[in-house]
Amino acid sequence: MPKKTEKSFPGNLIPFDRHFFTGREKFTLIGRGSLGGKAHGLARMKEILDAKISPLFGPDIQVVIPTLIVITSDFFDHFIEQNDLYEISLSKQRDDAIAQAFQRAELPAQLVGDLRALIAQVHTPLAVRSSSLLEDAMFEPFASVYATKMIPNNQLDPDTRFRKLVEAIKYVYASTFFGDAKNYMLATKHTTADEKMSVIIQEVVGSRFGNRFYPDISGVARSYNFYPLGHAKPGDGVVILALGLGKMIVDDGIGWSYSPAYPQANPPYVSIRELLEQSQTEFWAINMGPPPEYNPIKEIEYLLKFSLEDAERDGALRFIASTYRLRDDKIVYGIAEKGARIIDFAPILKLDLIPLNKMLRVLIKACEEALGRMVEIEFAISLDEKRGVPARFGFLQVRPMVVSEAKVDVSQAELTGAGVLVATDSAMGNGILDNIRDIVYVKPEKFSPHRTETIAGQLEDLNRELAASHEPYVLIGFGRWGSSDPQGGIPVNFGQISGARVIVESTLPEMNFMLSQGSHFFHNITSFRVLYFSVPHWEKYSIDWNWLREQKAVSETEFIRHVRLSAPLKIKVDGTTSRGVISHD
Amino acid sequence: MSHKPFSSFEMAQSQFDKVAAWLELDEATRELLRWPMKEYQFLIPVRMDDGRTKIFRGFRVLHNDARGPGKGGIRFHPQGTIDTVRALAMWMTWKCALMDIPLGGSTGGVICEPHNLTLREQELVCRGWVRQLHRDLGPQIDVPAPEVMTGAQHMLWMLDEYEALTGKRLPGFITGKPVGLGGSVGRLEATGFGLVFILREALKEMGIPPEETRASVQGFGNVGQHAVRLYQQMGGRVTCVSCWDQKDATSYSFKKESGIDLEALLNITDRFGGIDKKKALDSGYEVLPGSAWLEQDVDILIPAALENQIFGDNVGLIHPRVRVIAEGANGPTTAEADQAIRERGIFLVPDILANAGGVTCSYFEQVQSNMNYYWEKDEVLGKLDVKMTAAFDSVLELSKKKGLSMREAAFFIAVARVAQACRDRGWV
Repeated sequence: MPKKTEKSFPGNLIPFDRHFFTGREKFTLIGRGSLGGKAHGLARMKEILDAKISPLFGPDIQVVIPTLIVITSDFFDHFIEQNDLYEISLSKQRDDAIAQAFQRAELPAQLVGDLRALIAQVHTPLAVRSSSLLEDAMFEPFASVYATKMIPNNQLDPDTRFRKLVEAIKYVYASTFFGDAKNYMLATKHTTADEKMSVIIQEVVGSRFGNRFYPDISGVARSYNFYPLGHAKPGDGVVILALGLGKMIVDDGIGWSYSPAYPQANPPYVSIRELLEQSQTEFWAINMGPPPEYNPIKEIEYLLKFSLEDAERDGALRFIASTYRLRDDKIVYGIAEKGARIIDFAPILKLDLIPLNKMLRVLIKACEEALGRMVEIEFAISLDEKRGVPARFGFLQVRPMVVSEAKVDVSQAELTGAGVLVATDSAMGNGILDNIRDIVYVKPEKFSPHRTETIAGQLEDLNRELAASHEPYVLIGFGRWGSSDPQGGIPVNFGQISGARVIVESTLPEMNFMLSQGSHFFHNITSFRVLYFSVPHWEKYSIDWNWLREQKAVSETEFIRHVRLSAPLKIKVDGTTSRGVISHD
Repeated sequence: MSHKPFSSFEMAQSQFDKVAAWLELDEATRELLRWPMKEYQFLIPVRMDDGRTKIFRGFRVLHNDARGPGKGGIRFHPQGTIDTVRALAMWMTWKCALMDIPLGGSTGGVICEPHNLTLREQELVCRGWVRQLHRDLGPQIDVPAPEVMTGAQHMLWMLDEYEALTGKRLPGFITGKPVGLGGSVGRLEATGFGLVFILREALKEMGIPPEETRASVQGFGNVGQHAVRLYQQMGGRVTCVSCWDQKDATSYSFKKESGIDLEALLNITDRFGGIDKKKALDSGYEVLPGSAWLEQDVDILIPAALENQIFGDNVGLIHPRVRVIAEGANGPTTAEADQAIRERGIFLVPDILANAGGVTCSYFEQVQSNMNYYWEKDEVLGKLDVKMTAAFDSVLELSKKKGLSMREAAFFIAVARVAQACRDRGWV
């Protein structure tokens, strides 16, 4: 009999040998199709991490790609074809109807044996992530467009664990055809039918504390920062850290943000009270206990938010928190004293307990070299319970970051000149737009924090129309765009406003909102070069509502108004000064 | 061609004798395992549609139930003999043991030609078969299943008769039932898919990517059809299938160099797996003699019809390109042919391993029926794949360790397990 040989597989990876944690390779695949963008990015970094990063920072930091298998895109094709899912997938059915149809369908026969073998030996939480093919082909990041489902995978019965894994895979497949994804495709001039999905099944980095499982730290690091503070420069990049799962940063927009060049500098705050309010007070974890409800078509079926008190009881704050000392109105590093906790990662960033920042700077550089462009990476860290080190750094994702290089000048005078509709010195992005005639705005006189979900629905309808006719628009609204708390802003996801090329977020005097400054959609905004204006009412610049009201409406609902101008607006943002202006003739 | 009249049971006994010698089994164990523990032969009178009464001959053979209740199919075939049924029952014992499922081996049958029977007549044969045997059948005694020319409808008639006689609802009495009436999803595909799971592992072992292979399949019934489907999904190309033509009372091979179109072929295939010759010609297939499937320029041969298909006289016709034979049928290769295949270095996956997907899924069906709780297809096929792959790995490991062929290693494992169960029970 011929000797066993290994033919080349995508990404020079080797096929899954049915040993997840115990196999000789920790990055394997099932199938011979494409890996998709996320998996491809990881495959490119695999050797670099092993050869260049790990040796530099071991044993204090063990840098790894958490054990994973990739189900390549050929299985996605089989799945759709054998279950006749194309029609419903490309229809205008609701997301839940599509998700249910996918749940009823059967996975390809040649896939389920590998999944069964995997689940028989793994009892720890798994993340089932999307890895889109277009993302790979276009070298474009489709951040948060498709679903990721985390499963606790701790049930005693392997049949139950298997079912949960299968449900999660089908859910991720279905998310390819959800409304947001379709809107996103329209905005990016792709067609949904072209999209294919690979799936990554990956070990979740973290530890179990009773009925919750989470990493001590999760984070995002970016090569370029459109909000450089103090002495930091845009090219220094930015790092955002949070306690628990990275969902807190990516979806809720909350975390400790700092410049890797100045890791000890705090973000700006007026008072310690404000700092306490702005910093993280809750965290996401995988629920290892009974789920509140059985709902296989809910992305966060097994995720729950917990309080900092819970984390402190778990002993998870020791290396990442400071304490507010009321008696002298000071923040002291660590949690030795009683008082309100602030998740500022001071023991690591300021006392240098772990060379995390140094490692991140090297890692960002290595990723930039590998991808040949600026990058964004996601990671999760679990710390040694007693000493903090050795820490296990799980490298979860790397994706390209689109940064405009064009030089734009916006002078101070331009912000107050005639014909200014919107001006700010807190704009995000960089560039000039002179082809937008459409403005969609939330009527200030009608806006109510209690009606934000209705407003989101109305915006989605209008966005669909404008995106279909390829009309880019300026979007103006109140509160944090994309807020997960409907009272804190309009709870849209990026797909619902995907046609907007300029987004303005504002406040009204009777409302005390913190603005998001684009954090909810940061990646989408930078990828699509969306210009983002923050115009809080207390600042010196404002929006010319009267001029807007005078313009004739193309359409109008109770809460929103759509106007189309005869001449395009002039829109400019200077990324180096953060000045931005929208003016009309 | 001329060769000694083939006896399946002699072949099965000779396979056993060889393994018994390796295992150094004592005389009593050899005697116990060489023969069936129970045999039933009986007559089934049936009032035919034309008013005549016809007497059919029925069988049930329980070879061994040391590891659990008997399990095995019911074959309707005009050339059925007690000899064939004995062999099939013995192979079922080994197959269940090899797959490590807690069942023994049995097989039954009726000498009849279903092509020539109306559905009503077939129903009466089924019900008559159960009436003769019901005291010696049941979820804890012996569990029948479909085999050649029997299917879900036959199983349902038999279940209905059994439940009427016992006054209970006992879906675990029989397997291969229709889905929704006690059947398991995935059962229909199980044998063919299971064969391809094993084939996949064999190709992996040999370092051959499935998408670079071509296959020829003998038999286009349930096993052949599902094996073709999954093999094609893996990227393989089936260039030839053969099947029995009831009208011409002979078999034909249907060849298409570019690869057969499974869905199109199924549209011109009857419920017994017979392909319409004329329509196949119209669709661009070459129609060749039945034996031509064996001579094809392919990498893989899948005999998925009946026993005794590759023998001393035709083994030399196998094309030099062939590297794997996966036995979808029971006993398709004679001992003489087996030796020649081994000498040529062809990797042969033996029947008791390659086609064990059927009985494994039957076991799953019985478990579900006894619980009256049914699994999703993903779960059934996932479990099937794991069982099949684990069995393949253990056979391969032993064959390498002891320098045995895959068939020898498979029998070695199976017979050892059954002999041990007999010893543990204190029978020998």
